[in-house]
Amino acid sequence: MATEHIVKSFDAELERINGEITRMGEMALGQIQAAVDVLQRRDSKAAERVTINDDAIDELERTVSNDVLRVLALRQPMARDLREVYAALRIAADIERIGDYASNVAKRSMVLNQSAPVAPARGLPALAELASELLAEALEAYRLRDADRAAAMRDRDAELDAAYTSLFRELLTYMAEDPKQITPCTHLLFMAKNIERIGDHATNIAENTWFLVHGEAMSGDREKADKTSE
Amino acid sequence: MTNAPIALQTSVAAAEPAAASPAKLTARDLNFFYGDFRALKDINLVVPEKRVTALIGPSGCGKSTLLRIFNKIYSIYPGQRAEGEILLDGQNLLDPKYPINRLRSKIGMVFQKPVPFPMSIYDNVAYGIGHYEKLKKAAMDERVEQALRQGALWDEVKDKLKQSALGLSGGQQQRLCIARAVALKPEVILFDEPTSALDPIATGKIEQLIAELKQQFTILIVTHNMQQAARCSDFTAFMYLGELVEHGVTQQIFTKPSKQQTEDYITGRFG
Amino acid sequence: MDSVLAERLYVRRRLLNATALVLSGAAALVGLFFLGWILFTTLSRGIDGMSLAMFTEMTPPPGAPIGVGGLLNAIVGSIVMCVLAVLMAAPIGIAAGTYLAEYANYRRIGTVIRFVNDILLSAPSIVLGLFVYVVLIGAPMQVSQAIRTTEAGQAGGWLAGLADWLQGISGFSAVAGAVALGFIVLPVVVRTTDEMLRLVPTQMREAALSLGIPQWKVTTHVLYRAALSGILTGVMLGLARISGETAPLLFTAFNNSFWNLDLGEPMANLPVTVYQFAMSPFDNWQQLAWAGAFLITCFVLTVSVLARTLLLRKKMAHD
Repeated sequence: MATEHIVKSFDAELERINGEITRMGEMALGQIQAAVDVLQRRDSKAAERVTINDDAIDELERTVSNDVLRVLALRQPMARDLREVYAALRIAADIERIGDYASNVAKRSMVLNQSAPVAPARGLPALAELASELLAEALEAYRLRDADRAAAMRDRDAELDAAYTSLFRELLTYMAEDPKQITPCTHLLFMAKNIERIGDHATNIAENTWFLVHGEAMSGDREKADKTSE
Repeated sequence: MTNAPIALQTSVAAAEPAAASPAKLTARDLNFFYGDFRALKDINLVVPEKRVTALIGPSGCGKSTLLRIFNKIYSIYPGQRAEGEILLDGQNLLDPKYPINRLRSKIGMVFQKPVPFPMSIYDNVAYGIGHYEKLKKAAMDERVEQALRQGALWDEVKDKLKQSALGLSGGQQQRLCIARAVALKPEVILFDEPTSALDPIATGKIEQLIAELKQQFTILIVTHNMQQAARCSDFTAFMYLGELVEHGVTQQIFTKPSKQQTEDYITGRFG
Repeated sequence: MDSVLAERLYVRRRLLNATALVLSGAAALVGLFFLGWILFTTLSRGIDGMSLAMFTEMTPPPGAPIGVGGLLNAIVGSIVMCVLAVLMAAPIGIAAGTYLAEYANYRRIGTVIRFVNDILLSAPSIVLGLFVYVVLIGAPMQVSQAIRTTEAGQAGGWLAGLADWLQGISGFSAVAGAVALGFIVLPVVVRTTDEMLRLVPTQMREAALSLGIPQWKVTTHVLYRAALSGILTGVMLGLARISGETAPLLFTAFNNSFWNLDLGEPMANLPVTVYQFAMSPFDNWQQLAWAGAFLITCFVLTVSVLARTLLLRKKMAHD
């Protein structure tokens, strides 16, 4: 931001919303990591923590909504300020969904851990790592209000989609070979899908960042390398 | 289902007014001087027909000065002069040969402080008309009623037309001044901060009136209240230190202005 | 700052305030005291002489018994000359005030005219009277005599006629008196008209001009209407001022013991009558002088109060 508002409290309120989003982002990243932990180390305590943290993320999202509403009503923001609060509202919603997905992955891990480990499960942590990277990149682009970085991140989502597609096929093959593995594989499928959705929401965050900076939508459809429906 | 935002484009509905409306007033290379001081610098502005154009900017930016050139009200003060052209339907207003009273019958003005004449309500409206046309009483009554209806004042004063105009409330007086201006059937109406002396309800009524008036008249309004410009106008021009910084469709100016100065002013960062 | 010092400063301030209040109040009281005394004296002495006869009978000869005679011719004469003075000076004054406020307001010539007007406003009235005497009475007499001494003047024809006319108009007359009084009314009216017109908000002028109405119409139809009570007040103040002026009349209209409505001849008037009667050793005249003084005081007081009330209401309406 070039200069400060003449009325300093306006800046303070925007800072506050910013801080809340940053906090949400950190928690979401933590959630993804925790989900991976649950999967790899079969740690049920971690799973409980994930559930509690998810409630905290939801609470933060409500707080952000509230603060945005207040700014809209009381400050009549224009131009960039308006785009700031608008983007903050959308991004908070996206991070909240990401948190939900991470939480779902953790819960399914718990269920999965009750059966024997399955080979394709090895691919999942890598997938989650990638999603985590993408999310971190999107959040950093938002933090820095760097539209170009956001655009670059959006293009990388294709990687995640490709990884998901290959895992999908692997799981199908596995299920086809050994019908007794259908149950754990189905869980894995859902978990992989959730992680892919995390990637999609991360790209939403990137697109909102672009809009915040430039005032118009990011051009072109992003490459959807999710070929599973073809 | 994606969560991408719907872009606030300067799209269909907003762009239509700009495309469909021809220019009513065009200021070209306009400069204005208070003595030696150059208050307006090379202004080029197009005011589209039958639309509301707002002039905004901080104090001293020259927006009122610019407005007052259009009906040449500055000419009564010595030492003030304008250079350049202002075209009304192709004719240059600043040409000394353009008759001033014809100019003022085409371009009316409403001021910041409601200034009804010290006469009855009826006479206030009839006075201007009577200067230009000799009408029989019935015809004049009709014109007065029409003007008061256009000024959204008829229902409130129809029973007390002969009473002094000074007995009306501030908002009513301002609407009377508007009725007085439209009574002459001008083509353009200039508003110089018309609601800054009024309470919010009266302000709302005037804004509604402006929205109705723009179907018949071209309107140029100066306001220091940005929200009013955002609510009322189709086009907005931002001025600073005597220069026209940016001019465009209102929605665009207030969501995505192209000049940093405009953005700073609109978001309250000016300092 | 410790509280002891603060306390001391506060007490000192209170003391200073009280002292100033007392002193200024005392000064006001002194002024009011003398005013009260004058009014009381005038009232008590004058009221004795007030009767219906005052307004119906002429001035009596000196030495007549008290109660005989009145001030009718003086009152009528004063009224005639004051009205004439106002009729002459008010239109010129209003026109000049209009010029100052409307056309010369932002220009240098306006400053100059206002300055000169202020000088005229505070010019001693005896000087004005003397001036009118020289111009309307003394000079024509001298010019007439000068013409008569020349050959052409004695030969007859239009020069002789001119000399005769000049001689005719010279000499004390009511017209000269009215002119002198007019010079006193003029600057008052100019000043008030100027100020009252300037009080009318600029935006009203601009609003009327924006309708395309020419300047002269704006001035007469709109501005005069808006400033009307103020302008009338100016005229009333001028009237109040001249109704008690003696000095200018001494050289111009002088006085007349008899009834006279001929404007070319000296005319009776209250102030000079009061002057003459008060200086005389006769009781009845002195009695009448007090009554006349009382009359003048009442009149001036009434008109002034009326004018100021109007003015105050006008100013308050504007704020």
